[in-house]
Amino acid sequence: MPSDLDRQIEQLHRCEPISEEDVKKLCIKAREILIEEANVQTVDAPVTICGDIHGQFWDMVELFKVGGFCPETNYLFMGDFVDRGFYSVETFLLLLALKVRYPERITLIRGNHESRQITQVYGFYDECQRKYGSSNVWRWCCEVFDYLALGAIVDGRVFCVHGGLSPNLQGIDQIRAIDRKQEVPHDGPMCDLLWSDPDEISGWGLSPRGAGFLFGADITRRFAHDNAIDLIARAHQLAMEGYKLMFERTIVTVWSAPNYCYRCGNVASILELDENLAQDYKVFAHAPSDVRSIPAKRPPADYFL
Amino acid sequence: MDPGFSVDDIAPIAILMDELRSEDVQLRLNAIHRISTIALALGPERARDELIPFLQESVDDEDEVLLALAEELGMNFEEYIGGGENAHVLLGPLENLCAVEEALVRDKAAESITKVSAVLSQAQIEQYYIPLLQRLSHGEWFTLRVSSCALYAPVYDRVAPPMQDELRRGFAGLGTDDTPMVRRAASKWLAPLVKKFAKQHVLTDGLAIYRRLQADDQDSVRLLTVDDLIAIAQALSPAEVKEQLLKQIRQTVSDKSWRVRYMAASNFNQLAETIGQDLVREELIGHYVQLLKDNEAEARTAAAGQIPAGFAKLLEKEVILARIVPCVRDLCQDSSQHVRAALANQISGLAPLLGKDSTIEHLLPLFLHLLKDEFPEVRLNIISKLEQVNDVIGIDLLSESLLPAIVELAEDKSWRVRQAIIEYIPLLANQLGKAFFDEQLGNLCMSWLGDNVYSIREAATVNLKKLTEVFGVEWAKIQIVPKVVGMGQHPNYLYRMTTVQAVSVISPSLTLDIVRGDIIDTLLHLSNDPIPNIRFNVAKALEVLATTFGNTPEGRQLVQQKIIPALEILKNDTDADVRFFATRALQSAHGVGA
Repeated sequence: MPSDLDRQIEQLHRCEPISEEDVKKLCIKAREILIEEANVQTVDAPVTICGDIHGQFWDMVELFKVGGFCPETNYLFMGDFVDRGFYSVETFLLLLALKVRYPERITLIRGNHESRQITQVYGFYDECQRKYGSSNVWRWCCEVFDYLALGAIVDGRVFCVHGGLSPNLQGIDQIRAIDRKQEVPHDGPMCDLLWSDPDEISGWGLSPRGAGFLFGADITRRFAHDNAIDLIARAHQLAMEGYKLMFERTIVTVWSAPNYCYRCGNVASILELDENLAQDYKVFAHAPSDVRSIPAKRPPADYFL
Repeated sequence: MDPGFSVDDIAPIAILMDELRSEDVQLRLNAIHRISTIALALGPERARDELIPFLQESVDDEDEVLLALAEELGMNFEEYIGGGENAHVLLGPLENLCAVEEALVRDKAAESITKVSAVLSQAQIEQYYIPLLQRLSHGEWFTLRVSSCALYAPVYDRVAPPMQDELRRGFAGLGTDDTPMVRRAASKWLAPLVKKFAKQHVLTDGLAIYRRLQADDQDSVRLLTVDDLIAIAQALSPAEVKEQLLKQIRQTVSDKSWRVRYMAASNFNQLAETIGQDLVREELIGHYVQLLKDNEAEARTAAAGQIPAGFAKLLEKEVILARIVPCVRDLCQDSSQHVRAALANQISGLAPLLGKDSTIEHLLPLFLHLLKDEFPEVRLNIISKLEQVNDVIGIDLLSESLLPAIVELAEDKSWRVRQAIIEYIPLLANQLGKAFFDEQLGNLCMSWLGDNVYSIREAATVNLKKLTEVFGVEWAKIQIVPKVVGMGQHPNYLYRMTTVQAVSVISPSLTLDIVRGDIIDTLLHLSNDPIPNIRFNVAKALEVLATTFGNTPEGRQLVQQKIIPALEILKNDTDADVRFFATRALQSAHGVGA
């Protein structure tokens, strides 16, 4: 298996999709590994924490150039691997192949875009159809999504989740009681973890997203205190400077998609936690255009020139 | 279908036809890529009589499928239909593909027709190819006429003179077509055709077609005539060029459309070499100076990119000094960084042409100025071409400005700039010499080992390996090894990793003595690191050491006494990845020990 997988990792690292048959095997293998993981997966420091990627494959390659590749560097990706960018298929499959090859070196948790409903609207479904000519690959990937952990905790001190907190969850232990192997629900604690945002309010507020909640500094501090954690690391929201610390450094948004949607002009970052949980934010810009090929558009017909 | 065929005979083509009718584009595409197999299964005769006619009717498909078909038919497909004497059969489907709307498909079809033409006999050309060419050239829809332009050159020299007369007339007709797309294709394909003309026909027909296209009212047609100009000039003597083409050259270089001037500027060297030294000196130099001062930055960039290689070397030193150097001086101050970057890439090439004294007097101030440019790419380009300057005036005169420039690039906030300068360091080391290097750049090279970007740390280790090759192992032992080993104490695992990876990269360029005396203990110490990532990279590094040095008795001793015992321990590590890489390394180590 390793040599086969190593070949697939190499191929995906060149941004070339692997065969449908290989995807199927990879997804089955990934599910076997993910099913063993907890809803809140325990991770050892040192680890490098990353936010949304959204199919921006070449920018993820840039991320690895800055942070080092897996397995040399340990990684934790906080969801939203797919949708919006041009290369959701290659992005997610590369991460998944790394997960299967080095399960101890990389952790993947679920984002709100790792969902059947959302991917049908924001691009991943169409990309699978276009690249494989059928929806099989999309279906298998969605089954893997259902097995992804909902959060992770690094050395018991740093809680990582895609979106944020939920009014229905006071402790990390309560997350462990959720039956996560399902499509992301429209409400309830599992939905909130993937959809909520911190905000400069007190208490809880309605989210303009229509799912999840807004939560203030008081809620964040109480959750950190009650669960004996130093930091909540989350993604889910564009941070123009790559990351954004809030509420006296109790929560940070890490954003890893530079020049989001190829037009926002933002920089991205990764958070390196060393073996003593010291935080080092590495900021990086999008891949130069000669590296980042944009899929060839059909040239306009001759007579329009 | 003929009832005489058995089911087995029918199967291949039936399957192909089924797949070609499939709803699924991917299936149709796969089927097309297999048509040679199908043809082989059918045998030459049926491939000719059934498959080709079938394909000829299949042009109503997705462009992607048609493109694949056009390509397949050009890949020696005649082998499957009975060899060269039947190759003309392929022209049928390809002719249809020449008519489709998608330019990519048409181009590929024309390319395949060209390939097929190479295996046709003269009789086949006259009987099948020429009529096809005439049908396309007089086609009602412009796509046919566009495709036809590409098909004149391949057969022109293979038909009899009367037919050649007719082909020239036919192509001339395309050059005056009403549709600009056709004239554009004629511009593009005139150059290869002219190369096959006899001299007299270049002077008559070739020149006439070119002159019309060069004066076209569409700039997209005119800009393609620069190649034609060069092709025609190549066929003529300098005197003829002067007599026949001077007006066109002037018009092209000063065209009102910057795209045409850009094309002229981009091809200036080739043009200059073609028309000969005298004409360059009396005529072209003025035009060149004009392009260096062009209003459009793109044209200036293209012209600046042509300075020494082909152009300036045709001039006398005095002329360079009098005409080119003043422009170069202005370009150093150009408002566009792209112009300055293109110039920085080329300016060093003037040094050998000017010689030592003039370089010091005229170019040195410009080098120094460009080394302080606000855009890193400009500085990098100067540094990348330093060798030529060094050969002429020595590097000492530059070093005072060079060092601050290097240091600043080395600390640039963009890691790609830092990476670019690292890649030039071995080159610089060669020119600066050991003493100067140690004093000025040594620390810089070591500091990159601690850069906060992984790729820079990686490039830093490769750089140290190359420096070892430049300055020798004894130098490396004193200057490099202690610092690399020292990083192994870093509190952050990513930096300890640099030590381990540097050992893997550099060791093959070191000696066994140094590895044994200065390196192995650090590595063995790191094999007990609390972080598994360090431990499995130690296993990988030990594997490199074992395979590099295991071929001598002393080396085998090291493998047996130090490397294998350490790997045996790592093989039973608590971490799966450490066990995997240790096991793999052990296999290699035992392999060399045997």
